[in-house]
Amino acid sequence: MQRSPNDLSQLQATMRAIEVACSSIQMMVNRAEAEATILSLCQSPQPYQACQYILENSQMPNARFQAATAIRDAAIRDYCLCYVMQRASSPEGYVQAKVSAAAAQLMKRGWLEFSAAEKETFLSEVKQATLGIHGADVQFIGIKLMESLVSEFSLSTSTAMGLPAEFHDQCQKSMELEYLKTFYCWARDAASSVTNKILDSDSPVPETKVCTAALRLMLQILNWDFRYSKNGLESAKGKKNVFSAQVGNDNNLSRRSECTIVQPGPVWHDVLISSGHIGWLLSFYGALRQKFSCEGFWLDCPLAVSARKLIVQFCSLKGNIFHSDIGQMQENHLLQLLSGIMQWINPPDEVSKAIESGKSESEMLDGCRALLSIATVTTPVVFDQLLKSISPFGTLTLLSALMCEVLKVLMVRNAEEETWSWVARDLLLDTWTALLVSIESGGETGLLPAVGRNAASNVFSLIVESELKAASASAFSDDMASDYFQASASAMDERLSSYALIGRASIDITIPLLTNLFNERVARLHQGRGITDPTVTLEELYSMLLIIGHVLADEGEGETPLVPKAIQTQHVASGESEKHPVVVLSSSILNFAKQSLDSEMRASIFSPRLMEAITWFLARWSSTYLMPSEETGESNSGSCYDNNHMVQSSVSSKAFLIFGEHNQGKSVLDLVVHIATTTLVSYPGEKDLQALTCYHLLHALVRRRNVCVHLVGLDSWRRLANAFANERLLFTLYSAHQRSLAQTLVVSASGIKNPEASNQYVRDLMCHMTNYLMELSSKNDLKIVAHQPDVILLVSCLLERLRGAARATEPRMQKAIYEMGSTVMNSILIFLEVYKHEFAVVYLLLKFVVDWVDGQIIYLEAQETAGVVNFCMRLLQLYSSHNIGKISLSISSSLLSEAKTEKYKDLRALLQLLANLCSKDLVDFSSDSPETPGTNISQVVYFGLCIVIPLISLDLLKYPKLCHDFFSLLSHLLEVYPEMVAQLNDEAFSHVLGTLDFGLHHQDMEVVDMCLRALKALASYHYKETTVGKVGLGTRAAGSKDQNGQMSEGIFGRFLRTLLHLVLFEDYSTDLVSAAADALLPLILCEQSLYQRLGNELIERQVNPAFKSRLANALQCLTSSNQLSFTLDRMNYQRFRKNLINFLVEVRGFLRTIKILVLFPVLFVCKSVLQTSRIQDPGRILFEKIYPKQVK
Amino acid sequence: MSDEEHHFESKADAGASKTYPQQAGTIRKNGYIVIKNRPCKVVEVSTSKTGKHGHAKCHFVGIDIFNGKKLEDIVPSSHNCDVPHVTRTDYQLIDISEDGFLSLLTDSGGTKDDLRLPTDENLLSQIKDGFAEGKDLVVTVMSSMGEEQICALKDIGPKN
Repeated sequence: MQRSPNDLSQLQATMRAIEVACSSIQMMVNRAEAEATILSLCQSPQPYQACQYILENSQMPNARFQAATAIRDAAIRDYCLCYVMQRASSPEGYVQAKVSAAAAQLMKRGWLEFSAAEKETFLSEVKQATLGIHGADVQFIGIKLMESLVSEFSLSTSTAMGLPAEFHDQCQKSMELEYLKTFYCWARDAASSVTNKILDSDSPVPETKVCTAALRLMLQILNWDFRYSKNGLESAKGKKNVFSAQVGNDNNLSRRSECTIVQPGPVWHDVLISSGHIGWLLSFYGALRQKFSCEGFWLDCPLAVSARKLIVQFCSLKGNIFHSDIGQMQENHLLQLLSGIMQWINPPDEVSKAIESGKSESEMLDGCRALLSIATVTTPVVFDQLLKSISPFGTLTLLSALMCEVLKVLMVRNAEEETWSWVARDLLLDTWTALLVSIESGGETGLLPAVGRNAASNVFSLIVESELKAASASAFSDDMASDYFQASASAMDERLSSYALIGRASIDITIPLLTNLFNERVARLHQGRGITDPTVTLEELYSMLLIIGHVLADEGEGETPLVPKAIQTQHVASGESEKHPVVVLSSSILNFAKQSLDSEMRASIFSPRLMEAITWFLARWSSTYLMPSEETGESNSGSCYDNNHMVQSSVSSKAFLIFGEHNQGKSVLDLVVHIATTTLVSYPGEKDLQALTCYHLLHALVRRRNVCVHLVGLDSWRRLANAFANERLLFTLYSAHQRSLAQTLVVSASGIKNPEASNQYVRDLMCHMTNYLMELSSKNDLKIVAHQPDVILLVSCLLERLRGAARATEPRMQKAIYEMGSTVMNSILIFLEVYKHEFAVVYLLLKFVVDWVDGQIIYLEAQETAGVVNFCMRLLQLYSSHNIGKISLSISSSLLSEAKTEKYKDLRALLQLLANLCSKDLVDFSSDSPETPGTNISQVVYFGLCIVIPLISLDLLKYPKLCHDFFSLLSHLLEVYPEMVAQLNDEAFSHVLGTLDFGLHHQDMEVVDMCLRALKALASYHYKETTVGKVGLGTRAAGSKDQNGQMSEGIFGRFLRTLLHLVLFEDYSTDLVSAAADALLPLILCEQSLYQRLGNELIERQVNPAFKSRLANALQCLTSSNQLSFTLDRMNYQRFRKNLINFLVEVRGFLRTIKILVLFPVLFVCKSVLQTSRIQDPGRILFEKIYPKQVK
Repeated sequence: MSDEEHHFESKADAGASKTYPQQAGTIRKNGYIVIKNRPCKVVEVSTSKTGKHGHAKCHFVGIDIFNGKKLEDIVPSSHNCDVPHVTRTDYQLIDISEDGFLSLLTDSGGTKDDLRLPTDENLLSQIKDGFAEGKDLVVTVMSSMGEEQICALKDIGPKN
């Protein structure tokens, strides 16, 4: 920009005047006059040029400060506000939006300094605007400005602006308590002021825009994360987490569809509930809907969308905004809403027909969302009752009818994703889940009302029908990605669990239905055998088995699942247990599965995929129904139900005892073992199927001791064990599956009553394998034969099997498994030498030793321990001698990265081995008396660590698991044996410290925690030693002179700096504060003078005097309040933890200022661009550059 | 396991065989496989089915252990694949001759002089530099299906 010399001289004059004024204020002369000069600058209509000139040219800081202040005030006052108001009618909405966002930021920036009157002035202008006095355009802008303000003041959408978190917090609180409700009322008044105009006019009017904006603002306000006005009790929870930068509302409802509960608290009662506001909204929407009923597009126009969104939002109102009158007020509220919403979704068949013939689906979907919200805030009974007062049927009936319609459409349309019926189905399923889960978990009434059960069974039968249809339609599709069993099952799992809840609501109808459908399909298979292609029926059966599995039983997740409560408690008419619907269905499936044992049937019917479903089903079903331990069955049914239910449930439990130990249980178990063996033997190469058998089915069987007792007595199980030990067939299984099989077989030995017999069982199972390995390792030509692929395969399989057995170690079989490992110790070392270049084998060797030591170490006697420890050290040394200094060469980068991964896996195994050895010092079940001279574990492990550390580079620590293992071992060692650190050689010592430093800045919280624990251990050891006159860590702690005679800081000083910086300035989780306090206290005690110095530096650095004194006080309190003393006992650690938390809450808010803003000169340029440029874009771009909206 | 033992004895002198059959379903990542007559290291195995209710097949991604090229193969998982016989032998590096051959010391005290230096600049310099620095180097030579190549270097301390 060109400035005329005339201008320039004028600017210089202004600058000089201001400078004079500033210095006279400083020198206390002519104060009044000086103040007036400065005020005149602030109040001049166009201060920008002058201010900019001063900022750029004045040598005097005070003058520059005044200029900056002036420019800020002016910017808000006449610039942003006037700009938007004056140009209200301009068509460039995005420029206005940007400018009003800027105004909101400027407002917020000064918010805490403005006096109430100043805010009042600004807000009254906004109010005037929203009242519509200056016309619709200004009214619209006024509402938009409030929208910007609300979003700027809400934590989740605010801009960082380089200001401390404390500031944002205070602004949010101020907004919520003082202005939010006012804004809401203004928006409401604005909306109602234009209603008539919109309703009366036949053509689009500008008022529509105003109304839409007002509704949107209201919705935005209802979405506010209310913290302070909820009620007194909860406001404590509103305390902000000052430790991490992340903000966001924690929503603990995890479902497919979002449903936030709105809890604004009692102060909002008058505005939202008692003012008739909702009635107005509903009738407004209703009237508009009536008026535009012939225009289909209207449903999707912004006004309709925002009105509906607001209505849906009202459905999720909850909490003490309603007075405590046993929910009557909330029921009335919901009824009012529901009666308005009814016309969106009722009658369902007409609604869906209209949508299919082209009407917009958005209103119907919003209706579903409203139902979901209502279901979330009510109980099933209340939910159903709501509608009864205004219609002949209950809400559940409506829900069911609606869902049926949706499913019908889904079946016709054949499951294309992302159609409206998909969305609606998911919403309605969530609604069902919301209702039924409260029954499943709450259980006071235990059941849906009868009408509800009817409704549920209707829905369920349609669900099954539609799933079957989808299955048959997809039978020939070659969409392989989704075909993999586990992937598809877990993707469907969520949906299936919802189905299961619905199905369980009325088992007397749904289970017989499933039985019929299943039997029908089976009959169809048999009729068509050899004649027709069975694929479609197979796929239907596959899908049915998944559904039935979910309905009948829950996923155990490692525990033994009980019969689902809904199934246990429901009254079922049939008297005999054989006729209980669940028993009938289970028997049908078991009978069908049995046919897979026949080889002809297998070839023609039982495809691998169908077997996968059968195996999965058997695993899930067996965990719940097969040989349930009887006493749990009864005690469970008695405890939590009233008498009436107890009778019913025990009828059901008795029915299920038909699969118990004294009934058909044994024969069913035999059948299951036969089927499992068949999948292993008769489906060569079907890895996925065999994985299900090994990891799911067989694991489920041996998980319970009472089942094992019967297993080991079965011929079928014995044959499986024999085949595993002595035959070649099972060597064709995938080697990891062999490991699992070995584990399962060994675990089953726990079912043998006599411990000696259990041990013998394991010996018989494993002795051939160990013998083979020993013989092979003693061959003279081992070096030649060992590398033949078939020998490698065999050795790998055997090692996997030994590893599986080692993992099954239990006290009862421990002896046999110890022998198994100790006989092959020597062979292992020989193999490690021979296969040193064969990663796959080396890794298996290491993993076997890791698992074996893990299982055994705590049981071993002193002599055995010495042997095992010695063996482990030889293993470590051997491994190290092969690998240290080794570089892989290959022109293929992927082969090189493979080599790196292999190295990582090996090292991780070695670390695990050391960690396992450590556990001997913590848990020891051996019969040795403590006085027996044993192996010094700490020495051994440190020795091991010194071998391993040179192999670990910081590069390798980027592997998260390795990193985790390394630090857990390191922190354990430092905590338990800090004295050993002093004995480390220099190289190892500096490596340890380097890794600690690295770990402190790691992003994984656990790693940081472990490093903090290690630091605490080191520092407190040193402090305690030195206070009693010992050396502790000696020179290492004190620091040393390097070659140049420079004094280098001791380790504790270094870590004190690092840790202080971490807790004060960096982002971390609150959970780390305690650990940080525990490390900080001994560090401070070790380096007291340095701590004082650092504290003073910190205080000096603060420019703001208020902050300076707050910081000084806080630092003072940190080390002196709570009677903190100079000892390191438990009490003192706890006190310091409290002190540190208080300290951080006090200071982190202002210390963590991210950057200081220097944008006033830029604002000036910006403004001139906006004013002069004909093109709107440059201004907008500049604004965006200055106010980068942080997306969180 | 007596039959296993028998199986093992019969192969005792079969070291010359270049490949061995192994069921596709048992081949793991990190193992070896022959694809298009080249010995490969398996870097990826996935399974799929021939049609929804058909049998499993394995999809292998292998990397040629000598030239680093990526190769893929699909085999029904119950069928056999060829697995190459891969051996790796350590030799001490005695000398690098000017015509690009290495002189290596065998375990038995003899020398092996028929191994060429790699042509790849990077690998070449890694070997040459280490040797020039006077380090005592052990090279690992990988051989399979009639080909040989250096696959690793190990520094066993400075030459005395």
